[in-house]
Amino acid sequence: MKKNFLVALLAIMLAVPSFVFANGQSESAGDKEIEIRFSTIWVGADTKAAPVKELVDEFNTANAGKIKVIIEENPDADAYRSKINTMLGSGSAPDVFSFNPDQTSFMFYDSDVLMDFTDELKGDWASNFVDGAIESATINGKTKSLPFEMGYTPIWYNMDILEEAGVSEIPQTFDEFWDACEKIKAAGYVPTSQMTGGTNAWTSMLWYCHILNAIGGPNVWEKDFATDPVFVEAAEILNRMYQDGNTTVDAIGGDAGVSGGHFLAGQTAMFINGPWYIGRVESEAPEVFAATQIGPGPGDKYSNGQVGFPQSNLVAANTSDPAKKEAVLSFLKWMTTPENAAKISQASGAMLAVKTPGVTGNRVQTQFNEAVNNASFLQTHFQFNFATDVMAEFGQALAKMASGKATAEEFVAQIASKIR
Amino acid sequence: MQNKNGKMIFIFLLPVLILFSAFFIYPLAYVIATSFSKWNGFTAPQFVGFDNYKYLFSDENFRLSLRNNIVWAGVLGFIQVPLACIMAMILARRPKGWKFLRTVYFLPNVISQVALAMMWTAIYNAQNGVLNALLTFVGLGHLTNNWLGNMDTAFAAVIFQQVFYIGYFMIVILASRLSIPDSYYEAAELDGANILQQEFHITIPMLKPILITTITLALAYGMRHFESTFLMTGGGPAHSTSVMGIMLYTDMQALRYGEGNAIGATLVIFGGATIGLIRYFLTKNSDN
Repeated sequence: MKKNFLVALLAIMLAVPSFVFANGQSESAGDKEIEIRFSTIWVGADTKAAPVKELVDEFNTANAGKIKVIIEENPDADAYRSKINTMLGSGSAPDVFSFNPDQTSFMFYDSDVLMDFTDELKGDWASNFVDGAIESATINGKTKSLPFEMGYTPIWYNMDILEEAGVSEIPQTFDEFWDACEKIKAAGYVPTSQMTGGTNAWTSMLWYCHILNAIGGPNVWEKDFATDPVFVEAAEILNRMYQDGNTTVDAIGGDAGVSGGHFLAGQTAMFINGPWYIGRVESEAPEVFAATQIGPGPGDKYSNGQVGFPQSNLVAANTSDPAKKEAVLSFLKWMTTPENAAKISQASGAMLAVKTPGVTGNRVQTQFNEAVNNASFLQTHFQFNFATDVMAEFGQALAKMASGKATAEEFVAQIASKIR
Repeated sequence: MQNKNGKMIFIFLLPVLILFSAFFIYPLAYVIATSFSKWNGFTAPQFVGFDNYKYLFSDENFRLSLRNNIVWAGVLGFIQVPLACIMAMILARRPKGWKFLRTVYFLPNVISQVALAMMWTAIYNAQNGVLNALLTFVGLGHLTNNWLGNMDTAFAAVIFQQVFYIGYFMIVILASRLSIPDSYYEAAELDGANILQQEFHITIPMLKPILITTITLALAYGMRHFESTFLMTGGGPAHSTSVMGIMLYTDMQALRYGEGNAIGATLVIFGGATIGLIRYFLTKNSDN
């Protein structure tokens, strides 16, 4: 009797975890409603939150009783990235999610944890995407993520500050740029927003990329980072942006909140970020929004180059359950129809890798499109070309150089030491 | 009878032993084993011998992180715990409002580290921070600084915000202090001992076991310190506040699990050895 009781108890104990950790997997069997967990940062204050939720709701209504997509909210981008990496590293993944396409994320293509879309994209689906987008997400012939959001990061100029300082035109060369900086400081403002903190020193990393565009031209990332002098030369220019009051006193150690906050507060004249920031500037700083003009960075040997890169790719967990796979593909196809992508783009200002017919933007969105369309060339950013630990070293090395404790050569050498 | 008791003890210990083996011994062995490999977490690890350790110990930033962990351990063990002990001794004398003060000192321990880190980041902010505003207000404007962005002050600033959160150790020491019979102090007072003499000759010797325990705990917290530094500076600027936990985290994010596990193994071995050594010196006299 006692033995039977113990066996029963053991059986219950073993069975409990399978219920607790099933995570909707068992529901895909038979005719039951298939549950898809969509883990995303497009929630809360994110400008894509409302249109994404609307599309998910529409999909759920259209597939009532068959498929149900549940949004798992992850409002913190850095924490989300950590969570996804940890999950993927442990061999699991949310049913649908997004990642920043970079050399670390693409390493997961070698695993079986991601769903492979290669065959699916051989059909009509591929025509939904802009030219070259699918190729940017294809490695060794496999497409295991869907390009979704593109990042373009031209320079944001606060023309009220520039005009008050006596600068009527956007600086076209570095001489004009430094001249404008002096005038802006004389008028009581700070020329540029910068930051060394966060996981990627975002704003300063983008300034560095613009400088590289100007002095290194297209294909600069094909050069050897450790030895090519263009990277040192660009570092010297970036360092100058940190000296003599050319940026705010809290830039060293500051994060995106610091960098963006100064621009929103009308304290800095020049800033860099992507189109996803337009909605925030419009709602939180209407005066700055009204004064904002989008344009290229100062040119040198090359001019009018822009920084553009895949920002977010949609990804799905691999599954051996054909019904679940079908449901996931059905949802992803829904999210990537031109009509639905247009809804997201229209509402958020985001620029997508999916065709978005008929989208009309506000003044700044239109300037973004013009800046990208008129660019002499588009080049990806530092983050796209290196692994996350190299990216993390960028901010640390920049802080050292900007503090006067490392030269531009040492800045490059410190980063290069992490490239393996 | 003794044999039967031994079996019972073993049976009662078995569940804990199984759990401890499954969730500590096995992962620890796995971490150590894979620390000798190049491994991205999802393909088969490739054995690389001591390469990960050679790389780490040749890395200036790793040595700096190790040093920072040791400083953290020292500050928590030999500044925070003594501060907590002093405060516990004062409160044990039951001055007016001592219960209120006890609660106030303990309060930060129930507040999220994230909230505290955010608060201190705002206090230290170079442009709009309270600290710089205060310095300017009292005529010390020349001392204003980018506290978390200056390589020379960031580490001290991060430690400073943590060292005064003495509540946890204070409560532990206070509980032990309140268990010392009042008659000891009454007798000492009759013999003419003043308060300081009473504390040095009665309280501290009686508290020695709990002090060794709290110092050991503080050293362990210091060796594995991560949260507030990660939240406030991410280890920057220029790695000046970095600790081994942050280096481990960065390696894990970059899918360098072999190197990350080498850091983890070093942390366990080095931390264990340091704590063991300090405990040995602290308990040496007691054992005698």
